Amino acid sequence: MFNKKKLGTVALALGTTLALTATSAWAKTTLTVASFPSFDLAVQSAIPLYKKINPDVEIKLVSLAYGDHHNAMTTALATGGNLPDVMGIEYGYIGRFASSGGLEDLRAAPYSAEQYEKLFSKFTVPLATGGSGTLAAIPADIGPGALFFREDIFTKAGVTEEDLIKDWDSFIAAGKKIKETTGSYLVASAVDIKDVVIRSGLKDGEGIYFDAEGNITVNNDRFKEAFRLAKAVREAGIDAQVGAWSSEWTEGLRRGTIASQMMGAWLGGHLANWIAPESKGLWRSAALPGGTYASWGGSFYAIPKKAKNKAEAWEFIKFMTMDKEMQIAAFRDLDAFPALVEAQNDDFINQPIPYLGGQVARVEWKNSADRIPAMDVHKHDPVAEQIINDALEGVLERDENIDAALAEAEKQIKRRARR
Amino acid sequence: MSSVESAVRPPVAKIKKRTLKQRLHASGYKWAPYLFISPFFAIFTVFGLFPLLFSLFLSFHYWEPAAGLSAMEWVGIENYTFALTDDWFQTSVYNTLWLALAAGIPQHVIAIPLAYFLHTSFKRSRNTVIGMYFMPFITSTVAISLVFTTLFSRDFGMINMLFTSAGNWTIGDIQPLAWLFPTENIDWNRPEYTKTMIAFVVFWRFVGWNTVLYLSAMQTIPKDLYEAATVDGAKRWQQFWYITVPMLKPMMFFAVTLTIIGNLQLFEEPFIITGGTGGLEQAGKTAAMHMYITAFVEGDFGTASAISWILFALIAFLTWGNNKLLGEKK
Amino acid sequence: MNKLTKSHLIAYFIVGMGSIIMLAPFYFMFIFASHTNSSILSVPPPMWFGGEFINNVGILLDALPYFWHNIGLSFYVALITTILNLFFCSLAGYAFALFEFKGRNVMFILIMGTMLLPPFLGMIPTALIMSKLEWMNQPRALYIPMACGAMGIFMMRQFISSAIPKELIEAARMDGCNEFAIYWRVVVPLITPAFGTLGLITFIGQWNNFMGPLVVMNDMKMFTVPLALRALQGTGQVPWGAICAGAAIAVVPLMILFVMTSRKLIDGLTAGAVKG
Repeated sequence: MFNKKKLGTVALALGTTLALTATSAWAKTTLTVASFPSFDLAVQSAIPLYKKINPDVEIKLVSLAYGDHHNAMTTALATGGNLPDVMGIEYGYIGRFASSGGLEDLRAAPYSAEQYEKLFSKFTVPLATGGSGTLAAIPADIGPGALFFREDIFTKAGVTEEDLIKDWDSFIAAGKKIKETTGSYLVASAVDIKDVVIRSGLKDGEGIYFDAEGNITVNNDRFKEAFRLAKAVREAGIDAQVGAWSSEWTEGLRRGTIASQMMGAWLGGHLANWIAPESKGLWRSAALPGGTYASWGGSFYAIPKKAKNKAEAWEFIKFMTMDKEMQIAAFRDLDAFPALVEAQNDDFINQPIPYLGGQVARVEWKNSADRIPAMDVHKHDPVAEQIINDALEGVLERDENIDAALAEAEKQIKRRARR
Repeated sequence: MSSVESAVRPPVAKIKKRTLKQRLHASGYKWAPYLFISPFFAIFTVFGLFPLLFSLFLSFHYWEPAAGLSAMEWVGIENYTFALTDDWFQTSVYNTLWLALAAGIPQHVIAIPLAYFLHTSFKRSRNTVIGMYFMPFITSTVAISLVFTTLFSRDFGMINMLFTSAGNWTIGDIQPLAWLFPTENIDWNRPEYTKTMIAFVVFWRFVGWNTVLYLSAMQTIPKDLYEAATVDGAKRWQQFWYITVPMLKPMMFFAVTLTIIGNLQLFEEPFIITGGTGGLEQAGKTAAMHMYITAFVEGDFGTASAISWILFALIAFLTWGNNKLLGEKK
Repeated sequence: MNKLTKSHLIAYFIVGMGSIIMLAPFYFMFIFASHTNSSILSVPPPMWFGGEFINNVGILLDALPYFWHNIGLSFYVALITTILNLFFCSLAGYAFALFEFKGRNVMFILIMGTMLLPPFLGMIPTALIMSKLEWMNQPRALYIPMACGAMGIFMMRQFISSAIPKELIEAARMDGCNEFAIYWRVVVPLITPAFGTLGLITFIGQWNNFMGPLVVMNDMKMFTVPLALRALQGTGQVPWGAICAGAAIAVVPLMILFVMTSRKLIDGLTAGAVKG
């Protein structure tokens, strides 16, 4: 009924740039790598290097926005179609993907990755292990937590780094002082405080919201303290009440109306590259307050069970994650803190960081990375996180009782984590 | 067919040929409509019906999709009972209805008089004005929602700037507009404002569309009705109220039906504006978004399918109600 | 009736203000497209064009190397969808409007009922079908499923039943036209105004379609424009200037198309298009 030739003419008329036929077949292997920004930059910069070593492998990078990428991967795993050979997975999704069974067990032959596990920061490998002792992914980078602050503002207010990290009471007092003398807010949002405190004091094998047995742990002292401190920060009027990654947040950091931010060490790269390149030399990095060691994010590579080029995929993953030079390159260019211990021990980490006023911050981050407990992730972590954030909203905005809010949150999580 | 053709031979008399042709056409008349509507059903069977049956099947199962197709587990109606008793789902339905009303009613309340006014009082500039109101409808939701997120920004947004400058406008010592406009920047991402922001964007997008629909219906109202009314001394608003509005009823039915269906399936605007999360305390999370989040964030496609069937029932029910209220009786 | 009355002036004023509200977001989209991020995020925001448009397009093309291809693909898919819809919907609408046949009402209600189906019901199964057919990353995965919409059938039925008298069809039939010839020679020429309306709506709908391509297109080169723009929203660094530049580029073709067709479109409506 519809003439194919006509379609062709129409297409031609639209311009020859439209290559509507499928990509022409190569004699070489085409390895598809699916990733998301800015993790995809590591792959992008690796392509020419990898081609030199493996001229027969053509790498095709498919990159989608963070949420869209993981949704597309869910769909791909569900349908078995459109699967990449190498799948980039972010921290927030690793729990679900690892326990799904849709990814190759890298501990099994021919990968036998168990021998490589000790090469990485000890806390990352458990994140990628599914039930029944399978390893679903190899860590590429990690996000040891750090506190970034504007030294000039602190000096002006007469506040020291020590005041900030000693304990939380001192933290809040310092915040008040900064607000009074300079008008800047100490933190972007009281929610950040909660996020740090719920990550503190975890033992190996424990998760943030669930313990090793899958029991919900939100109605305990760790969360109560987190909520109490978040509320104290809000009441002290030292948070700007803006969410991370909003325009208000980036501008607040750029203009110094927000004087500090606790996040993964990679925030340094974001600050230097685009958030606040003008304030070069003014920022510093410190440990998290109250002796907390926590991790923010991290990325992994996995191979889907139905991938077409598993052997090549595995070679590529090894290149990206176990090659010291590659890991350092990503560290240097993208501030992706390497998961590979060998790269962390390289002399490179002793170099001063000009953006942080010549501070040798990478050593501190490494120390922090060494102390992060081997946290467990649960497939319902994203749900629990949302419930906790909503509960905190009620406490901060409507003055709800903390104990009641957490008890309710526990009930909510129990309900939603029914399977 | 060929037997019929072979029957049509030159020597056959003209009269007979005509009857044959008529017979042929009579049969053509019979099969033609089925052939003409078959493309819809062919496409629908493959790309509509199969997904429907699949999701119906899925709604009685627990399925972790990342594990592949083999991992389904029969759970009966548990997904439905869970969804119906789930306060997150209830909140999302409430949000959806709230948005449907807050964005939907003004669309029609404004579009009808606007169309009437354009119809009666604009001559040459009419098409230009319609064009301006129709422009939002033709733009990409994704693109324009992104633009709106900057306009609604708390500290740097144009909208807050306008509002606060109106609120802080002073004559002498008084601020005459302070009761109506805020004097401080509004954080539109706060739960109490999220829905208003989304409703405005939806209203903005569709008011012109409805105006065009109503305008097109007004063109079909016979002019002599108005002339007769003018002779009888009816005022403009009386003509509007007693002639235009009743004559518009069929179009109202059509337009309101489209609004109901569209608003209850609202997804893209809140999705982009709230960054896919539904906003703080899920204040901007619609039922369609809840379904999406249940499926892709929580990984529970069974419950998500059940939710979509409940939502379908709700939309069908409201459309039926609208049919009773505004629909023509034939 | 002729003189400008006070109430008229007020009404003109309100309509004028309304048009400003309708157009303001576009205005700012163009303004922001010509400014850097930091000047967009300043108080007060820019109100007039800046000189950064080319730079913003540069940023856009850095992030989306296939952006021009994306535009071309969007155009191609929208055009094919439109052509298919005009043909199939008018055929079906004609059948429903002017034929008496068994099951007519039931089938019509069935078709209308499909409009009520929420999206995402079919997201995963659609992806399943597409990968079975090996249509992933193929333009046809976008236009075939959308080739004949319920809404289009409805519009066409309404229009044909009001614009084409049954006697005309009967006469054509008497003259010995076959059924398809009647459609092609009699019906089609009379429904061009409705073609304009439906064509525009279909084109716009497909051009802006977001969820459809999200499931079936995972190759950046095969993204449609909304997907491409959405990819910019990624993590954190949102280049507002570049996003607005991209949005402007995505909207301008539609604006031109609309301005070109609006006269005809609205005149077409004047002829008494969609009658409820």
